[in-house]
Amino acid sequence: MELLDPAILLQLLISGLLAGALYALLACGLNLVFGVMRVINLAHAELMLVGAFSAYLLYRFFGLHPVFSLVIVVPAVFFFGYYLQRVLIERVVGQPLLSSLLATYGVSIILVNIGLLLFSADYKSVPAMQGSILFGEIAISKPRAVAGLISVALTLAIYFFLERAHLGKAVRAVAEQPQVAAICGIDVRRIRMLTFGMAAAMAAAAGVMLAMIYSFSPISGADFIQKSFAIIIIGGMGNFAGALYGGLLLGVVESYVAGFSSSQWAEAVAYLLLVAVLLIRPTGLKGTAYVK
Amino acid sequence: MPSLLSIRGLEVAYGAVQVLFGVNLEVQTGEIVAIIGPNGAGKSTVIKAVVGLAAVQQGQIVFDGREIANLPAHIMPALGIGYVPQGRIVFAQMTVTDNLEMGAFLQKDSVKRRQAVQQVFEQFPRLYERRHQPAGKLSGGEQQMLAIGRALMMNPRLVILDEPSLGLSPKYVDVIFDQLLALKQQGRTLLMVEQNAARALELSDRGYALELGHNRFADSGEKLLANPDVRRMYLGGA
Ligand SMILES: Nc1ncnc2c1ncn2[C@@H]1O[C@H](COP(=O)(O)OP(=O)(O)OP(=O)(O)O)[C@@H](O)[C@H]1O
Ligand SMILES: [Mg+2]
Repeated sequence: MELLDPAILLQLLISGLLAGALYALLACGLNLVFGVMRVINLAHAELMLVGAFSAYLLYRFFGLHPVFSLVIVVPAVFFFGYYLQRVLIERVVGQPLLSSLLATYGVSIILVNIGLLLFSADYKSVPAMQGSILFGEIAISKPRAVAGLISVALTLAIYFFLERAHLGKAVRAVAEQPQVAAICGIDVRRIRMLTFGMAAAMAAAAGVMLAMIYSFSPISGADFIQKSFAIIIIGGMGNFAGALYGGLLLGVVESYVAGFSSSQWAEAVAYLLLVAVLLIRPTGLKGTAYVK
Repeated sequence: MPSLLSIRGLEVAYGAVQVLFGVNLEVQTGEIVAIIGPNGAGKSTVIKAVVGLAAVQQGQIVFDGREIANLPAHIMPALGIGYVPQGRIVFAQMTVTDNLEMGAFLQKDSVKRRQAVQQVFEQFPRLYERRHQPAGKLSGGEQQMLAIGRALMMNPRLVILDEPSLGLSPKYVDVIFDQLLALKQQGRTLLMVEQNAARALELSDRGYALELGHNRFADSGEKLLANPDVRRMYLGGA
């Protein structure tokens, strides 16, 4: 194999961007929750697995393609997140970080154990789509292409909601100054419910997409939460756009490293990248958002 | 005529520390009322209790005939109360226009929202020039204008301002007092806390002097300004 063949470089770039888009979708949700309420959600990757196993069940028992199961899974997990915020997470907002870490870690343990009871620790997969799309010399696997494009679309949709929509602006206002937002007429608790619901829905959508590509078990969350943390630190804590860039960057770097060396190294890439970015820009690529 | 705002026997504590011990205060429609007092007297706390940002232990707060003590802050714009917090707090990462739009969060009609933004721009042309900039990039005086404009977005019947001139350069202190005068001439009802007590009382119909969470003096602005005790204790001298 000619290493610097432009076709191979392009191929690695595209597959890296597609994988990175999925990371970005996952990490943006984590960062949104942190940015709005200063809560680090340790159950974020388990919410992703809720999406993955839902896609698995819907495919296995109803033959539903994951792309269509999104329509069911995303709203369902949105409402789960919305009410989880109301009954649990709201109680730890504004508390010391340890309280929210413990609360969300509890949720994560509960979800993992429900998963183990229902599905055992065996790996599952959703082989709904096979084959590749060819562009000249470049071959992109179909499930990866679909997952990557849908992830980009969903991430951008949430981004533009936050930037442009009246309600989305209220989410940013609550992130910056909750008391002043309240006095503007914004029901801050409802905004936080909406925020956690959106983040959970983003995680679940990432899970559905992931199910098309990888095999997964109830304990697969650890890997993903670690990468997500690396991404939000690389991009800037609490900064939504930062997580988008961070996710794409990690996907591309991982892709090149895996392409040019052993995949052992690819596992460590997230942390090497993290160290490299922090050495150059201690607040991450896009800067830490909403610091008072 | 019943008062627009009537506070009776207000008691507020932060945790175990009580800071207000039965404060009374009235605001009539069309009046400008000033609260003065030394640092830590509880001036901001009175205001925060009114707008739902501090929990009321005892006493009544009646606005327009309705008991509003301990109602959540987010219904204040719907009641007709606008609030300018101490320290010119703006949404620093959002544009000037978006900050104003947030002031009319409850107005779901975007056309009406934009009209309200235009009205604020007419009153504060400086904000219009900077409408696309993040609020964090504005000078202190501009941020205070923005905070006032945001509080006006729902056309409130009572505007409550906490130290609107605090920490501003002398030039902007003048600008802000000019704006307060303009609001008065528009017939708005204002309740304000000011450390610039002399200027605030000149502008005000009535004033209240607080000390350690108690009412100390209450009178018309002129009489307070003429009162030697008030001059000595609150206006820094003879
Ligand atoms: N959130 C809080 N928690 C605990 N104590 C508080 C809090 N806010 C104010 N206090 C205390 O309550 C007292 C009254 O504070 P308040 O802010 O109402 O005074 P103020 O008259 O507005 O003073 P300043 O001129 O400094 O703004 C002070 O002793 C202050 O330390
Ligand atoms: Mg104060």
